[in-house]
Amino acid sequence: MPTRKTPPREPPASRGFWKESWRRFRRRKLAMAALCFVGFLAIVAIFAPAIAGAKPIVCKYKGRLYFPALGYFNPRWENPVFYRDRFRRIYPQNLKDKDPESWAIWPLVYQDPYRRVKQDEWPGQPENPSGAEGRPNRFNWFGTNQAGVDVFAQMVHGTTIALLVGFVSMGIAAAIGITVGSIAGYLGGWVDIVLSRAIEVVMCVPTLVLILALVAILDKPTIWHMMAIIGCTSWTSIARLGRAEFIKLRESDFVVAARALGVGQFRIMFRYILPNALAPILAPITFGIASAILIESSLSFLGFGAPPPNPSWGTLLNSARSNLQLWWLIVCPGLAIFLAVLSYNLIGEGLQDATDPRLHDGGR
Amino acid sequence: MLSYLIRRVLIGCLTLLLITFIVYGLIRSMPGSPLTVQMAEMDPSRKIRPEDYARMQKSFGLDKPWWQAYGVWLGNVARLDFGRSFLQKQPVAKVIGERIGPTLLLSLTSLLLAYLLSIPMGLYATVRNGHHDERFLSTALYMLYSFPTFVTALLLQMLLAVKLELLPLFDMHSQGYEQMSSWEQAWDLFKHALMPVACYTYGSLAYESRFIRANMQEVMKQDYIRTARAKGVGPLAVIFHHAFRNTLIPFVTLIGLTLPTLLSGSVIIEQIFTWPGLGRLFFESISARDYPTIMGLTLVFSVMTLLGTLVADILYAVVDPRISYS
Repeated sequence: MPTRKTPPREPPASRGFWKESWRRFRRRKLAMAALCFVGFLAIVAIFAPAIAGAKPIVCKYKGRLYFPALGYFNPRWENPVFYRDRFRRIYPQNLKDKDPESWAIWPLVYQDPYRRVKQDEWPGQPENPSGAEGRPNRFNWFGTNQAGVDVFAQMVHGTTIALLVGFVSMGIAAAIGITVGSIAGYLGGWVDIVLSRAIEVVMCVPTLVLILALVAILDKPTIWHMMAIIGCTSWTSIARLGRAEFIKLRESDFVVAARALGVGQFRIMFRYILPNALAPILAPITFGIASAILIESSLSFLGFGAPPPNPSWGTLLNSARSNLQLWWLIVCPGLAIFLAVLSYNLIGEGLQDATDPRLHDGGR
Repeated sequence: MLSYLIRRVLIGCLTLLLITFIVYGLIRSMPGSPLTVQMAEMDPSRKIRPEDYARMQKSFGLDKPWWQAYGVWLGNVARLDFGRSFLQKQPVAKVIGERIGPTLLLSLTSLLLAYLLSIPMGLYATVRNGHHDERFLSTALYMLYSFPTFVTALLLQMLLAVKLELLPLFDMHSQGYEQMSSWEQAWDLFKHALMPVACYTYGSLAYESRFIRANMQEVMKQDYIRTARAKGVGPLAVIFHHAFRNTLIPFVTLIGLTLPTLLSGSVIIEQIFTWPGLGRLFFESISARDYPTIMGLTLVFSVMTLLGTLVADILYAVVDPRISYS
């Protein structure tokens, strides 16, 4: 038999599970488009006060630099010097009057999501119309609501709320769900029985009762309370999935080897099994973000969200109910919610296809 | 199988006890009580004597701490006495019974419509896999699935009821319903129910069509389908006779899991259309702190949820001969 002249080539080293999944994810155009849209939303959310607001992004007043626009994120970040000097929240004229040397960089659109902009606050800009005249016009790109507050500014700031709600509530839900599921799945026995019953109980309590009761118990629910409440009520499906994965992976060889080596139980759970169990859980987490955004919008729509002023997309839809003739109040926030939910669903589905090895034959 | 059933029913009763206990505790710890709600409606200048106050407290069951009041409620339920609603001043069973009809009308109709329409759509999508019309249908279904129901409800209301004035805006019956003839009553009901049923149906329709299509795609890759085709079985027979039956297993369990949603009704849709159903009753009772009604409704929903999961598991065993619970 002729001997081989060239040594056999070694197969290329695998890039690892996550890099391979990312390559598969990248091939799906719709999922990548959805990811880009979510990235765009994230940029809008972070730079919301710079896109639409009535406070300058950065201004030099009486020799010092200030960032009044941060007051939109947290009222305490707005420097009290503007309160002491009686600005009454109207910046353009007051800055020029009180300090002729001041300069300011303004947001792209001069509108406030919390109040109606008055005549000539910004030179040349008329007062915001309200009611039926609040049609989209040159100064109010998406129109105004019945009180005269600009819809574009509300939607831009509502993006911050929506994305925050999605990530924070799902983060809480994922943390609770993965912990409960992993403990129940790995330890088994009576711990499993007790935890499974607990999961079933939380699943069966009508979510609306839970949320409304928790909202009523807290006297002044802020948006952070809403996020915590939504997180605490949506963890059950993640827990069930995690439990199934842990039960499956508990018997695998590497776990048996780890146990034989004497590795502690919690270390096995969270350093050995969890990274392998994470793949099937990621997709429901993404779908959960979409549903968290929907739940928060529904709650604001019903009037149970964070108290006003709350520029959430759901509150905008709620204000549309009293007068159905104002179509811009339905179309604009509705389209925003739809596109956000659609993007997260597409990303979740892309994740599912990318990480599930069973669905692949020939790299379809 | 019988021992499995008995075990599940017993565990279900235990879960039911836990659920009602937790819900009762939650609603009792909500600030405000039926007493404050009633006093808010009364004339503020009238002074209430202490004996009257105590009497009102006792009638609402507020004189005992909540775990004791829960025990009283539980004892009553064991005797099939569900209490009287504070808000409507009628037995809870009667109040729920009045509202079950409208909710079932919406949910059963949408359930039937969704199943009847999703099967042909899912099968059509499987047959035309890869063609342009299938891709368009799948994308359209996906977008439909992601569209929030309350936005659709508002859009439909705006278009059909306000701009075009084709359909009535709210409620279940128009004015003068009792004077109409049977045909007119049926037509009136149809016009009122059209928008809510549409909002209810399209979400589950989209989901189930994609579900069927995904399952059929997995089945069509199997070897026995290839054998059937090689044998010369016609395309329709391959789909209906060989492939579709094997997708029935997950499909049938889906039916079991949608059982609880039959009665829970959608609070949002019923609020938007002011449809007199169970979801709205739930919402109103929570706002009015009407404890007996809330507990009665919670009982109904939890029983349906537990029954739904049990039915899903049993159907799973019935449809798949490989699974048995002995």
